[in-house]
Amino acid sequence: MRPHFRLVRLAPAWFARLAPGALGLGLGVLALGPALGPGFTLRYDMVFVPDPPLRLDVAGFPRAVPSDQVVALLSEALPAEVVQKLILLGIFVLAASGAAALVPSGRTAPRLAAAAFYAWNAYLAQRLLLGQWALLLGFAGLPWAVRAASRGGAWRLAPALLPAAVGGFQAMLVSALTVLPVAALRTVEGPVEGWWAPARRSEWTFRGRAVLTSAAVIVVLSLPWLVPALRTNAVTDPAGVAAFAPRADGPFGTLGSLLSLGGIWNSHADVPGQDSWALASVRLALTAIALAGFVLLVHGTRVRRAAGGHAGEPGAGGGSGGVGGSGGLRGSAGGSSGPLVRSSGQANRFPSPVIAQMAVQGRGSGGGSEGDGYGLGLAVAAGVGLLIACAGAFVPGVPRAMIGWWPGFGPFRDGQLYVAPLALAEAVGFAVVVSALGRRGPVATAVPVLVATAVPVLVLPTFALGAFGRLGSADYPDEWRRVQAIVNDDPHPGALVSLPWGAYRAFPWNGGRVVLDPATKLFARRVIWDDTLVVGVPGRGRIRVAAEDPLTRRIAALISGGAGAGGGVPVGAPAEVDGGGGGRGGREGGVPAGAGAGEAGAGGGVPAGARTGAAEAGGTGTERAGSLTGDLAREGVRYVLVEGSNENQFLFRLRGATPVWRGESLLLLRI
Amino acid sequence: MLKVLAALAVGAVLAGVASVAVVNVASPTPEPPNKPLYNYGDR
Repeated sequence: MRPHFRLVRLAPAWFARLAPGALGLGLGVLALGPALGPGFTLRYDMVFVPDPPLRLDVAGFPRAVPSDQVVALLSEALPAEVVQKLILLGIFVLAASGAAALVPSGRTAPRLAAAAFYAWNAYLAQRLLLGQWALLLGFAGLPWAVRAASRGGAWRLAPALLPAAVGGFQAMLVSALTVLPVAALRTVEGPVEGWWAPARRSEWTFRGRAVLTSAAVIVVLSLPWLVPALRTNAVTDPAGVAAFAPRADGPFGTLGSLLSLGGIWNSHADVPGQDSWALASVRLALTAIALAGFVLLVHGTRVRRAAGGHAGEPGAGGGSGGVGGSGGLRGSAGGSSGPLVRSSGQANRFPSPVIAQMAVQGRGSGGGSEGDGYGLGLAVAAGVGLLIACAGAFVPGVPRAMIGWWPGFGPFRDGQLYVAPLALAEAVGFAVVVSALGRRGPVATAVPVLVATAVPVLVLPTFALGAFGRLGSADYPDEWRRVQAIVNDDPHPGALVSLPWGAYRAFPWNGGRVVLDPATKLFARRVIWDDTLVVGVPGRGRIRVAAEDPLTRRIAALISGGAGAGGGVPVGAPAEVDGGGGGRGGREGGVPAGAGAGEAGAGGGVPAGARTGAAEAGGTGTERAGSLTGDLAREGVRYVLVEGSNENQFLFRLRGATPVWRGESLLLLRI
Repeated sequence: MLKVLAALAVGAVLAGVASVAVVNVASPTPEPPNKPLYNYGDR
């Protein structure tokens, strides 16, 4: 009988510990659906390629650093498509388990509530449909980072920030926005009287040290992208503020969309049916409920602080103690420093019976509850994040002026991504509400567990099955592998220009899903592609966000006819795009004399015709076509990859270049 | 008893909304785009 008794006792603890992660895995399988099939999932910015090369020479703004390098390293051990699927599933598992770990209750239902809410919401869905998996790594790791920041200690924070560090600049910025307020406002226990009393000074010193420690960890983990970002000569177009400002994705306006964790600028990133009245209404109602729960949690923190808190001096309980000291809401598994745990008799001091109930349950459970040491900090982060998002929508002049003053403010142009801490706050708040519904007993427990997991899914049901086909999987045609092998086996240096001159493609073999040109990731040499972004805005037509990389602008000028040829539409550019790119390219104008010519010549690949054409530059149209080949060679270009069926157009313009591969849809030219 | 009734009502609404949304979305198959180049997006 004894082993049976032990099993009964142990099963709930194991279940409580593993259930959120398992739920995250289940939700991930449900959301990704067809994307888990054989092949790669390619959509918008999510581009994974077979045998991705490890490239350390980053040109332009390091948007995909170090995420691309990490993927390349992992792909040495596993097929790249498997790496992609593991990353995508990992996002769901990490997000769900992290949100559950923040819930100040060890009971299963509230923890699953937070897990389901955080792993299944409009923010995650929209960013996934936009292909921003690297940002989502930071989103998924955010609860763990908050947990670590509220406990204190660099060695605790660093591993918690690793997913964001892998994700790169967006992920780290969102994490920094959240972690720093949490570190600054984490619970500091002890009686405090007066603004400059010794205890108060001690408190400020403690908070300052916590912030500096967190900032140092963030900076160190950001170095892989921060250093190239500071060294790059890339520029940020302030027009991006209007292009990437949050927009309404439902009937409740921009603010309603943002509060419901949506509001992304791209309608193609919406889950189907998201804008319907019915779905938007229930999502907004759930938002209100979740926010009420979070306010309850934060209010509880403030009341307890006002009451003088309890427990020892800052840091006296070690890293774990700091959190638990926020009112005894921690679970026993999260560290059990005696002085920091309030006795059950003190539960009546909580402002709400719900929070008090959660506190008591958290103490007695095997769940890893944190307490609410992060509450105020997370509230501040959520508020600031919402303000940043709203700034782009309601006072766009502010971010535009900031970016004009210093391009380093460029990441603020896509303000909606900073809603991430609000998502976490709502997830925890939803758990608080679910906790209020729960009662002890197997039957009564099953109901809140069901509610906890079902409600977030039911308010956004069309996120399932890869958002009903928006996400899928596809294999690259063989010719892509052949071209990759030819270029990567070539020991001679020189860049590759990808044509047509546009960033995004819609391949039939990928189900027509729009995706960033895979050539940008496929080759072990610099790839020059059009990073001009064209975004449609209601009432304002199409906004062109200028290319960031000066070399890209020069190549655009060459392709569109050069500075002297005036602003034409670059070869193969979408017909609806205005010709401004050529004009901008013209302003960038000048091609450095002789730049790269030596390299191209050393490769021995510059055909005589190309040289002749270059020498005769400025003549007739045919002669100018020949000069394009020479001009590209002088810019250090060795290959031109043409995708699509209009090869002859490029063959005409790149007279003298040598075709080294001609397939059904790809043409590779060597200059 | 009141809680149970409220939960049933909310559950019914949620299930109804979700069902309608899924049916609406699942019925038409989005036509694959036939343009080779695309903008980054719009709204």
